[in-house]
Amino acid sequence: MTIPDHPNFLRNRLTQEMRLALAVLVALALVPLAVGSPYWLGVLIVSMYFAMLAVGWNLLAGYTGQFSLAPAAFAMLGGYTTGLLSWHWKVPLAISLPMSAVVPGLIGLALGRIVLRLSGPYLALTTLSFAEIARLVIYNSIDFTRGDQGLNVPALTESRLGNYYLFLGALAAVTFGVYLLLRSRTGRFLQAIRDDEIGAASRGIDVVRTKTLAFLLSCAICGFAGGLYGSFAQLVSPELGLISQTGIVIAMVVIGGMGTLVGPLIGAVLVYVASEMLRDAGNIQMIVFALLVIVFARFFREGLWGLARGAIARTRRGSAGAAKGA
Amino acid sequence: MALLEVRGVEKRFGGLRAVAGVDMDVNEGELLGLIGPNGSGKTTLLNVLSGHMRADAGQVRLDGVSVLGLDPTELTRLGVLRMFQMTRVFNRVSAFDNLLVCGQAMGLAETGAGERAVQLLTELKLTHVMHLDGGQLSGGQKKLLEFGACFMVPPRIALLDEPFAAVHPTMKETMAAFIRDRNRHGQTFILVSHDMPVVVELCPRSVCMNAGKVLAHGPTASVLNDTAVIEAYLGEEVAAGGGGSGRG
Repeated sequence: MTIPDHPNFLRNRLTQEMRLALAVLVALALVPLAVGSPYWLGVLIVSMYFAMLAVGWNLLAGYTGQFSLAPAAFAMLGGYTTGLLSWHWKVPLAISLPMSAVVPGLIGLALGRIVLRLSGPYLALTTLSFAEIARLVIYNSIDFTRGDQGLNVPALTESRLGNYYLFLGALAAVTFGVYLLLRSRTGRFLQAIRDDEIGAASRGIDVVRTKTLAFLLSCAICGFAGGLYGSFAQLVSPELGLISQTGIVIAMVVIGGMGTLVGPLIGAVLVYVASEMLRDAGNIQMIVFALLVIVFARFFREGLWGLARGAIARTRRGSAGAAKGA
Repeated sequence: MALLEVRGVEKRFGGLRAVAGVDMDVNEGELLGLIGPNGSGKTTLLNVLSGHMRADAGQVRLDGVSVLGLDPTELTRLGVLRMFQMTRVFNRVSAFDNLLVCGQAMGLAETGAGERAVQLLTELKLTHVMHLDGGQLSGGQKKLLEFGACFMVPPRIALLDEPFAAVHPTMKETMAAFIRDRNRHGQTFILVSHDMPVVVELCPRSVCMNAGKVLAHGPTASVLNDTAVIEAYLGEEVAAGGGGSGRG
């Protein structure tokens, strides 16, 4: 193997993944040329909403090793930030939509300061408790949130195609932002923490501060996705924060490839589109995805992207071997 | 004034006094051996010195300033670098990036950290595996990598816990040569090891611990010939042979 003068293996790997993520995004951009059905465009819009949640959760779980069970709850908080600002104070979307990232980010910052000194099952349980408390508070604060009736949210655009490209643009921006973060010094610290927290602290990395930053950004991404979803559906309800929604996000990341840039995108689109195709079969889709998560977590830790990468490497080795033989 | 002063340090686990009032000085530029049987409190003492455990009593001063109670990150930034007995490399990033991230955490710019990483990998004969993830390295390569991580920025003091355990002799010699060279240039070390020939060769002075206390300290040869040390740790045969691994 030839060693470059100034190697940067991590950055090269990320660049390779970002190129593939771009290919997925370009493919999504071309879909409306072939698919005219508003129903299927709607399905893809929701899958892009989930892809943003998956990218946000993957930043925390896949790249920092922190297992939060609250991505859907933060999406709900983002949706309600936009919804409440519009409903009660008639704040325009130009302000309320960015606030859907800011408010959950700040809540994440406060929660992070408390929970990120915990790790493993304690962190997961604390975020699960927070998610349920947040959902129940919204559900029961009928005078303020209208409870299970939900809140109407103004639309950014009524056009299905307009919403499609709006979500695609937001997903591309979020993915590119995470890519830039991971390439930076902070991104390296996150990955060091994921691999070994004690080792990271022993090399001079401020572990709690770095984890808190990742939590803040993850919550802000999920919140922004929730705000955007609210403006698309023109309604936010406590159902956005159901734990089953978090389960879907986790399934998407595990199946697509945890700790990779492209995995959450592939996972979100495939899982959500497949779940729509299986809708007529009742609740069977959740059983199928749960089984797939078990299979992938047990046998294919790097998900579909890992399988694809392995296949590409085998093909390259095969071609190189054939060329040598010739 | 010693670079590192340890006074009356105690660490208890329930009823067990793992470190029971240790006094110790490490001078600037010294290479101090810390020896003793398993369970004698060596690693626990290093854990206190590196901030991974809080002492129940006592005082630790670095350059005359109390550092007891600081966390590992703060101590690392003050120059107290730790190599663990069970390696702690970053498994899913390359060997090169393992070092790069350590340099950046210590305040080096990316270019400088990259150059330093390549320099260390060359010195430790790891360039052929620099592209492999930490998790793909052999046990000995992981030890060398973690060892190198301690020197991305020259530390004030390096605490090495069993660096030679389960390491191929060639790699052991690479590490020993590195330690010798750095020590010649004034680098301070505490070296925990059961490898008596290496301790004898590298460390002019040693401290032997047993049951959480300092059993003997002084020139390494004298410590190894101390009756209490022979009885508690080395055994008659090893002491008579003047080498081999310590008991336990």
